[in-house]
Amino acid sequence: MPLCEINNLRKTYPSFTLSDLSFQLNAGRIVGFIGRNGAGKTTTIKSMLGLVHPDGGEIRYFGLPFARHEKQIKQQIGYSTGAVNYYPKRKIKDIVAVTRMFFDTWNEETYREYLSLFALDENKMPAELSEGMRVKFNLLLALSHKSEILILDEPTSGLDPFSRDELLDIFEELKKRGVSILFSTHITSDIEKCADDILYIRDGKLVANYPKEDFRKNCCEAGETIEQAILRMERGASV
Amino acid sequence: MIRLLKKEMKLAASPLSYLFIIFGLMAFVPGYPILVSAFFLCLGLFQSFQAAREANDITYTALLPVAKADVVRAKYLFCGFVQLCYFALTAAVTLIRMTVLSEAAVYRSNPLMNANLVYLGFVLLILGLFNGIFVGGFFKTAYRLAKPFVIFIVAAFLVVGIAETLFHIPGMEALNAFGFAYIDLQICVLLLGASLYAALTLMSMQRAMRDFERINL
Repeated sequence: MPLCEINNLRKTYPSFTLSDLSFQLNAGRIVGFIGRNGAGKTTTIKSMLGLVHPDGGEIRYFGLPFARHEKQIKQQIGYSTGAVNYYPKRKIKDIVAVTRMFFDTWNEETYREYLSLFALDENKMPAELSEGMRVKFNLLLALSHKSEILILDEPTSGLDPFSRDELLDIFEELKKRGVSILFSTHITSDIEKCADDILYIRDGKLVANYPKEDFRKNCCEAGETIEQAILRMERGASV
Repeated sequence: MIRLLKKEMKLAASPLSYLFIIFGLMAFVPGYPILVSAFFLCLGLFQSFQAAREANDITYTALLPVAKADVVRAKYLFCGFVQLCYFALTAAVTLIRMTVLSEAAVYRSNPLMNANLVYLGFVLLILGLFNGIFVGGFFKTAYRLAKPFVIFIVAAFLVVGIAETLFHIPGMEALNAFGFAYIDLQICVLLLGASLYAALTLMSMQRAMRDFERINL
């Protein structure tokens, strides 16, 4: 059974439509969700987290429909929509103190471990952190309860190359611990480095959904990298 | 729900929401339209909504392992809690004016509304209008504050105007009774205010939960 299953997800805005998106997230996999800005990555992820109300389709986690088991499911998944953009003038420790109240599986040891790894100062406020540090703070909250799935919207955006590399290494480490990850990005090198599966979205439609090696076989022409293949497809060539 | 109320109080609330509870003491002020204190309390709550919006509080809360309907319930619960504190304070002042100070000359010669149970009934109506018009209106979008607050201001001052006028109409002087005079009438108006508060709050909360479910954050 897939950990997460999206079937025929639809959402229409006046100037954008997400059309019948279907994909799965299987245990122990890292899925890279790639597409240019405005392709529909954030709408998809926000729908998966209940922040956007879909017009149609079904979202299931652990075999349970999200719409009816939202509270229970959110206990078991970690999520981050980019950098922390809430409570800019509250201390990190105050935000954490409130957040931990809501998670039955909050692990203080894990929290301290990542706090130290990310070099975050609990007495600082989000407004005092750089963009990259605010991404790390959001990740810290997502990682500090025993999540089986991590859903991350552009977690590497705004990070310097070292932090990005460090974060992708953390993804690998989490995978070894049995955590499955779906992360969106528009940076193809992130996909090259750590994704097992690739979802490629263009204009609200899922263009490709393959394991990385199959993506290379099916979408890359001779000698092409994944980045070159995606650039070619973006320019209008068919898959 | 208690955890969400704690979250509202620790992260989302503006200190002004708590500070403005002391406007409940304005019921002691002679020669002043004391019903305006209920509006000031609502102004403090409005500050919390504004601060919460600037801090992306709704998105943070919606991402927690809580049902979307609970995000709405928590805001109503917080408003209800602050309103209860204010009401308890202003009710205590009102009782002092109805008993110990019922014969005080400074209040007897007051041309404006007297602090009695009728006053408390109108206070509850204004608080109910805040929940019904402003909080309910806010959850239609979860970010637009100005329009529902302006509508609430108009409604609140209309109520203040009506309350300050009614007892000047011949035959309705009993609404401005001192002490326990016309106590049956006073209790009736208080109960009517309490009923309107409950009805406006509950109806608005049900609608806000439906509206919020459909919102894209």
